[in-house]
Amino acid sequence: MKLLLLSLSALFPVSAFAYLDPGTGSIILQGLIAGLAAAAVVMKTYWYKIKSFFVKSDSKSLLDDDTDSEAGPKS
Amino acid sequence: MLQEINLSAISSSFRDPSGFVFQHAGVIYRQVNDCAAETFEKFTEGGLYQALVEKGYLVRHEDVTDSEVPRGSACHRLLRPVAVPYISYPYEWCFSQLKDAALLTLRIQAVAIKYGFSLKDASAYNVQFLDGKPIFIDTLSFECYVEGEPWVAYRQFCQHFLAPLALSSLVDPRLGRLSMTHIDGIPLDLACRLLPFKSRLSVGLQTHIHLHAKFQSSYADMAGESSSRPRRTKNSRGRISKSGLHAILESLATTVNRLKRSSGITEWANYYSETNYTDNSTKAKHDLVKKFLAIPGQEFNTIHDLGANSGEFSRIAAPLAKLVVSQDIDPVAVESNYQLLKEKGSPRNVLPLLQDLTAPAPGIGWANTERDSFVQRGRSDLVLALALIHHLCIGNNVPLVSVSQLLAALGKWLIIEFVPKSDSQVVRMLSTRKDVFPDYTREGFETSFENDFVLNRVERVEGSERLLYIMKRRGGD
Repeated sequence: MKLLLLSLSALFPVSAFAYLDPGTGSIILQGLIAGLAAAAVVMKTYWYKIKSFFVKSDSKSLLDDDTDSEAGPKS
Repeated sequence: MLQEINLSAISSSFRDPSGFVFQHAGVIYRQVNDCAAETFEKFTEGGLYQALVEKGYLVRHEDVTDSEVPRGSACHRLLRPVAVPYISYPYEWCFSQLKDAALLTLRIQAVAIKYGFSLKDASAYNVQFLDGKPIFIDTLSFECYVEGEPWVAYRQFCQHFLAPLALSSLVDPRLGRLSMTHIDGIPLDLACRLLPFKSRLSVGLQTHIHLHAKFQSSYADMAGESSSRPRRTKNSRGRISKSGLHAILESLATTVNRLKRSSGITEWANYYSETNYTDNSTKAKHDLVKKFLAIPGQEFNTIHDLGANSGEFSRIAAPLAKLVVSQDIDPVAVESNYQLLKEKGSPRNVLPLLQDLTAPAPGIGWANTERDSFVQRGRSDLVLALALIHHLCIGNNVPLVSVSQLLAALGKWLIIEFVPKSDSQVVRMLSTRKDVFPDYTREGFETSFENDFVLNRVERVEGSERLLYIMKRRGGD
């Protein structure tokens, strides 16, 4: 188990520069779930596309609000 | 840095080396230190500051670097942010206030990543309520985002927002007060112990709280070993891609959004439908309060409505003040108050908060000064104390003189309702206990309050035996 934990901590980044301690376990966990969460988002997007073919559905992200736009940073 | 010129630093502003907040001549300023110059200039010039302000996510500021305002050494810029009239804390918010603050924090992080930035902290104390909506107040919470790096504030977000929301939703809304004893959020191992088994069936809670706590405990034991290893470079394996990071934010937002406020019925939830007020006497009380509030030549900045329930009288007072802080002991009543605030046409200058007057929010954190107590923040122009006195004096055995002293410390004017022993509410309260309150009479009430106030006017509330007083604190302002 200890070996597994050590190898996980070798895989994922530990920031040395945060002014608050981000916590090693919290960082390793993010490394582990990022891929899974990204896959879930892709699946969700396809699901909404299929669903919207049959019924009108709203795939708006909770991270957007009514005033949100596609505006991004100046490049 | 501060001591050199004796600026009045805000006691909670000491953790971040990028700058600090201080007060000068009654105005709040934020100093950006030289060490944060490059990041701050990118933040403003790259468009992130403007984007966040336009969305109403971040408090607007004015750059007053060229002014004569005194400042600390190593000052890169001096900012004057829009003032938040009353600072409130997460343990004073109802479930939906904390939930809205959580979603705001995640939305800000999502926008920040688009612009090449990341929130370096996710403290619930960085959010305040202005015009009925949550707003982020810490302009210096942004750092440059490095592709592949994780979100350093993930742990803090889970502790400050997700854990208390899950506990309030799935166990009991009163657990929101647990944040008062844990200034850096609820430890995740504690949340795990308190949450019911069904929380493990939610993918989000299982991941971000239960598994997170497990990882924290496992890696805490290995901290010494891992710190001796060389740190990975950004080009090595195991990077957290931008899309992965965004997906974590989506997952957190979905988890937060799925938590629903507890539908628990409390003592006060149906107060207005269960009191002995008839419709006519309720209207008479509305009219009387309005009449008393219309003090000629008097403008109110802040009114404190204590024992406000769902804010019925706060809304009557709202047009006459810049802000009405509408406080009650009951989380369900505060929740109703906050929901009413979102309704179209409802005045936005009402701030619903949880406050137990028998044990109000204390000064907490470093030296007991990091977060101010209720009494320290509670100075106002007028206090409304309607249908409250019997709960303090008979329900909690507080002497009338002590109630008078507290209310005099809180406001210059006082509109207070005296509920006599013959009132059916008081009869009910005394039916199960010995009456040890010989002074709880109209005469006793007036004598006690005359120590601190000049009684201006008294009228009986039509259709009841209750009396409404307006009084002014002795000794001028």
